[in-house]
Amino acid sequence: MSQTHDHHAPIQESGEISEFEILETAVRELAIEKGLFSAEDHRRFSEWAESVGPAGGSRLVAKAWTDPEFKARLLADGTETCKEVGIDWRDPTGSGTPSDYTYFYVLENTPTVHNVIVCTLCSCYPRPVLGMSPDWYRTPNYRRRLVRWPREVLAEFGLHMPPEVEVRVHDSNQKSRFMVMPMRPEGTEGWTEEQLAAIVTRDTMIGVALPQVDWTASEPPSKVGA
Amino acid sequence: MSDGYRVLFDTLEPGSRRESSLPELDGKPAPWESSMQATCECLSWRGALDNLERREAEDELGETIYLDFPVRARSAVVTAHALLDLGIIDQEELRSKMEAVRERFERE
Repeated sequence: MSQTHDHHAPIQESGEISEFEILETAVRELAIEKGLFSAEDHRRFSEWAESVGPAGGSRLVAKAWTDPEFKARLLADGTETCKEVGIDWRDPTGSGTPSDYTYFYVLENTPTVHNVIVCTLCSCYPRPVLGMSPDWYRTPNYRRRLVRWPREVLAEFGLHMPPEVEVRVHDSNQKSRFMVMPMRPEGTEGWTEEQLAAIVTRDTMIGVALPQVDWTASEPPSKVGA
Repeated sequence: MSDGYRVLFDTLEPGSRRESSLPELDGKPAPWESSMQATCECLSWRGALDNLERREAEDELGETIYLDFPVRARSAVVTAHALLDLGIIDQEELRSKMEAVRERFERE
């Protein structure tokens, strides 16, 4: 392996330090000096928060597909029902990030309604269940255009919704976070929750894709399906 | 909640208070924003400042006293405000710490 980094493009630094970066650092360091928490607490939380992925959302959907009573509870009260799979939006030592605490809604796709989520203002995203948002979710291109031309944008992801299916765009905000519950695909009869969860990928819960029996995001596309 | 603290108006460069100083359409959170979130979590986790109370304060103060600050900076500004309100830190401490951090960051 090469010991040089010549093949990397240099990181472009603006050289400007945000005023709020200074404030954030000052507040954090004062809090640590006062013993409110430790530097290790902060590092651990940062490491954990950045490692959260979409597995929690996949579990929710797979369980809902196999347990009608759970599904009813999840659709009625997403925030509370998440606790049943170990995701507590208000408990920082659990699997939720309380700074994201809002009301969590699960949107059920049906044969006549397809849901898709966006945050037109910034990048609000249901992080406790889906982890960090993908880069494209935060782009002005997606955020501005999805609400105006949803079918066109979905088609750019390869998802062509028939005209008879209503497309509903849900705009996340500081108080409301959404996640899509896709329809269970045919050919999955008898599958375990674990098998089902594997095909409920991040994008299917944002609403820009549909679950496929031969597709899981845990393998490179070249090794899965045709 | 008390009135706005002078330290938060005085120590941040005037230009930074404009909403446009942190363009919302850039979308991607800056590293300090993620760090600020972790700070908020730790404060709540260890019992110093409850997250929900802070979020409500962000709504209240962000729409009034600190209306001119960027929305993305609300957690930082309001957390500082809350710690000042609680008497955990005082204005002079925060002012001195910010000066020290600024000097450290700008050191060649």
